[in-house]
Amino acid sequence: MRLLTHNSLKNNSAAAKGKGFPLKVTVAQIRVDEQDGIDDDTKISFIQGILPNLDWPALVAASQAMGIPTLPPALTEDLAENRVFLVALYHVLMNVHLVQGMLTCPVTGREFVVQNEIPNMVLEEEECEAVRF
Amino acid sequence: MSRPELTGPAAHFYNEKEARKYDSSSRMVGVQREITERAIELLRLDHSQPAYVLDIGCGSGLSGQVLEEKGHFWLGCDVSRDMLLVAQERMHNQANDDDDDEGESDDESMDGESNKQQRKSTGDLMHHDMGTGLPFRPATFDACISISALQWLCYSNAAHQNPRRRLTRFFSSLYTVLKRGGRAVLQFYPETAEQAVLITECATRVGFAGGVVVDYPNSAKAKKHYLVLSFDRNSEQKRKAALKDGLSSAAEEPQSVLVTGASREGAKKAPIRKKKGVKTKEWVVHKKETQRKKGKAVRPDTKYTARRRPTKF
Repeated sequence: MRLLTHNSLKNNSAAAKGKGFPLKVTVAQIRVDEQDGIDDDTKISFIQGILPNLDWPALVAASQAMGIPTLPPALTEDLAENRVFLVALYHVLMNVHLVQGMLTCPVTGREFVVQNEIPNMVLEEEECEAVRF
Repeated sequence: MSRPELTGPAAHFYNEKEARKYDSSSRMVGVQREITERAIELLRLDHSQPAYVLDIGCGSGLSGQVLEEKGHFWLGCDVSRDMLLVAQERMHNQANDDDDDEGESDDESMDGESNKQQRKSTGDLMHHDMGTGLPFRPATFDACISISALQWLCYSNAAHQNPRRRLTRFFSSLYTVLKRGGRAVLQFYPETAEQAVLITECATRVGFAGGVVVDYPNSAKAKKHYLVLSFDRNSEQKRKAALKDGLSSAAEEPQSVLVTGASREGAKKAPIRKKKGVKTKEWVVHKKETQRKKGKAVRPDTKYTARRRPTKF
């Protein structure tokens, strides 16, 4: 599971009442890609597309849990235009993988296991929100 | 081939053996690739800008691979863990080709390909049941794609599973996690026409605009259904027009949010009646508009609409 994925992931069970974000990360094993074979322009283009939607505090907290303390506490306009920073941000979002670990809902404490880099977000029918149909 | 949906839940059907069979069959791979290409074509993505795409029922990553080839980033969800493991293998094999290339000689004259690094996969995987709703923050994805997965929602495999409820839950969560202006193209195999209608109805009821594109409608085997969904086109055009005007007056950001008329005009108007017990043309036309908004098939309005008939039917 990448940090990019974690940044949008929430617990959407009925018990969480819409507040199941961000999920707390507990790490057992991590994998970092050193090289990814993608050119800088593509990286910057993609990051610029998703930057407005990133939840920065959640990203900083999760990256620290994954052993990356290098992100600044706030995202300034200067940083957002800095090409070197954007490439580094791409690396943090896309190349750091949680292989084994746990994601915990901040409201209900519900645990989602991450095994083989795949988070298990399967909810039982009873846990789901009621919906008018 | 009988329908796999009738045998049980998707997670049980796509076990390890079936997953390997699925991924290694070249015919299956070819068909899924073709469907994915057509779905991406219907998505009308701008391929010059990498998009963040949600792949529902990503299976063994066949559709994800096509998305990657077009230069996009994706997140795949599937209910079968075995299929996801096959997908991971496929993605890691693609990455391992990098390591082999790096070990070879750097001599450019020998082989031009050894210098060119193959991209690592831009996709991520998630074990998830789409009928429980998509667990993402609002407006996360630029687009959504789904290949041969949606029909699984139409069958209930347990007493508490209600297809209509699961479909509605899925579509309403999809509506939330897609960015405004984003599109979703979901290819599915309806068993009957009623199923296709059920799926489309659930989608339009939550607010999506769009409908079903049917390729090869005259061939039972080749026929493919694509549910193409987008947000209200009217509001998109009005918003763009408003932004254009705003720019000409040198405003950097739009000063106000434009709330469009299309979804609000017809809402909650009292039914119009001229005299008690008589349905006027105004009332009939208004009623037809309401039905259209619900996504039902309605005859077009002509000069004959609600015309007083000379004789009683």
